[in-house]
Amino acid sequence: MITFDDVSLSFGRHELFKNISLELRGGKIIAVTGANGAGKSTFLKLAGKIIRPDSGEVKFPADKKIAVVAPEMKIYDNLTAIENLKFFAELRGKNLSAENILELGERVGLNLETFGNVRVENFSTGMRQRLKFAILLSVDADIWLLDEPTANLDDAGREKFFQAIQAAKFDKIILLATNDRAEVDICDEIIQLPF
Amino acid sequence: MKLFSSRFKQVVAILRKDFLIGMRQRATFAAMMMFALTATASLSLSTGGAFVEPKFLAALLWVVIFFAASAGIAGTFDDEATAGTLPTLKLYADAQAILFGKMIYVFLSLVALTIFILPIFLILFDEPTENFLLLFTTIFLGLIGLAAAGTLTAALTTSATVKGGLFPILLFPVTLPIFLPAISLTEISFTSAAFDMSSLIMIAAFDSILITASSILYDYL
Amino acid sequence: MNKILILLTAAIIAAIIFLVPPIKGLGDLAKIIFFHVPTAWVSVIAFFASAFFAAKFLRTSNFSFDKLSERAARLGFIFVLLSTISGAIFSKLTWGAYWNWDPRQTTIFILILIYGAYLTLRAAVADEKVRAKVSAIYSLLSILTVPFLVFIIPRMYFSLHPSPVLNSSGRIEMDSIVLIVLIAAVVDATLIFIQLMRRDFK
Repeated sequence: MITFDDVSLSFGRHELFKNISLELRGGKIIAVTGANGAGKSTFLKLAGKIIRPDSGEVKFPADKKIAVVAPEMKIYDNLTAIENLKFFAELRGKNLSAENILELGERVGLNLETFGNVRVENFSTGMRQRLKFAILLSVDADIWLLDEPTANLDDAGREKFFQAIQAAKFDKIILLATNDRAEVDICDEIIQLPF
Repeated sequence: MKLFSSRFKQVVAILRKDFLIGMRQRATFAAMMMFALTATASLSLSTGGAFVEPKFLAALLWVVIFFAASAGIAGTFDDEATAGTLPTLKLYADAQAILFGKMIYVFLSLVALTIFILPIFLILFDEPTENFLLLFTTIFLGLIGLAAAGTLTAALTTSATVKGGLFPILLFPVTLPIFLPAISLTEISFTSAAFDMSSLIMIAAFDSILITASSILYDYL
Repeated sequence: MNKILILLTAAIIAAIIFLVPPIKGLGDLAKIIFFHVPTAWVSVIAFFASAFFAAKFLRTSNFSFDKLSERAARLGFIFVLLSTISGAIFSKLTWGAYWNWDPRQTTIFILILIYGAYLTLRAAVADEKVRAKVSAIYSLLSILTVPFLVFIIPRMYFSLHPSPVLNSSGRIEMDSIVLIVLIAAVVDATLIFIQLMRRDFK
């Protein structure tokens, strides 16, 4: 569970959040929707303690790990797909075997037998996004923060992704910032911004 | 203990990743080496083989190392910030692991820089070094402090919007307690005069203070 | 408070001109020492004040401490420039050269570099939250050099600088009138610094 306790945050003179208190429970996919500039991405970052509020506090148990898929969270262009996967898994204390890697690729629809040793700089936007999902699935996080996750994906990619998060949601807190109809439809709960 | 070992694994992973990228994207490294070579060559050409006082030569060596290092390590965090990978790295790795991974990488690149430029420098200026052990120890200790202060300074300048020349301006005053004794020890190593152990101890002490302070202050960033 | 300070300052200037005997062989301009010593003192005090408020800011994230840290550094920078110039003039009169890398000249020069670096860093960071953090960290990093420089510099540079007021032998080698005026000037400069720090923060 993630708890917002009287959280306020402003950028310069613009008050984005004022005295927000709420609880986000696990086992569900929670959509965060709202117009551009309403603070969807910022809400996700607050929830993951990636940024601090000006006042108030965001709380979740210290042993909960976070994973994020967001446009500004880039992966390494001059490493190959497999090197990226292995690196991020290693940071979270996991050593991926060759089978693990192929299986992860399968789950997100990325053929790592062919593209595994290709540097990411040669990947299309959609392939990068699939690789980011593979990293997300590999790191065993308890809290997933997904910012417009399927914006660059084709229908097959979306379908794979929806399946993957539906299957994973039961022991996780999943926040999904989006205005996309199809993405909202798979969510169990909706938070509409601004509050 | 578990926390320590997981951090240690992260440090190793970051170090390995930086090496891989450094080998593939040689520009930073090449620029640092060429900067050192150009500086050394310009100094040597302008003195035209005339005798240069050991005291002056020792200072020149450290000036070359300082500015070449500045060129090489200013971008330690900038490269990742520009590529957009820094937020991802900060999310998945512990802050201290990032700091120490980068610091060790910076230190090793400075060692490589010195291995490259020191022989060239000594040959071009025709300087017969008397006490190699002292020279190596001095440079080794000096580079540790330079790496510690340089890594934190590089993290500070990453958020600056105006970068030109900022890094050496910030780094120089902070590393003066290393340079002053290091220059006199280097001079002594050229001339084989008796040296003062306390200067070496002081550089080592300042090194450890810089490492500790960087570690504490980085958490506030 | 302002009026008292103006009066005190005027009284000290009068005392320097009329009361203090001319310094042997150096002429009246040498009385600039009464300006040099207090400004040097304040530039060091301001350096520590800036670092103190920087630490306070990092602990509390209260931006008024950042403002205080910045103000102390700006004032310190002005005082260190005044002190360096007045010191160089006094140096020309007594040693015949404006600059000769005396330990204290070296120290004050490093202080100029640190103040300059700190203010450049502030100017270079646009985001005010980031600027506050980054400059506080630099302020604390730079103050670590002080004990080492105090130890190193006197060993490396030969000194011609007059002994401090209270030298190692503990004897005071000054006319009592000179000493009193000098101490009053230091106190006055410190009060002026404090008053400038308090402005707008009442």
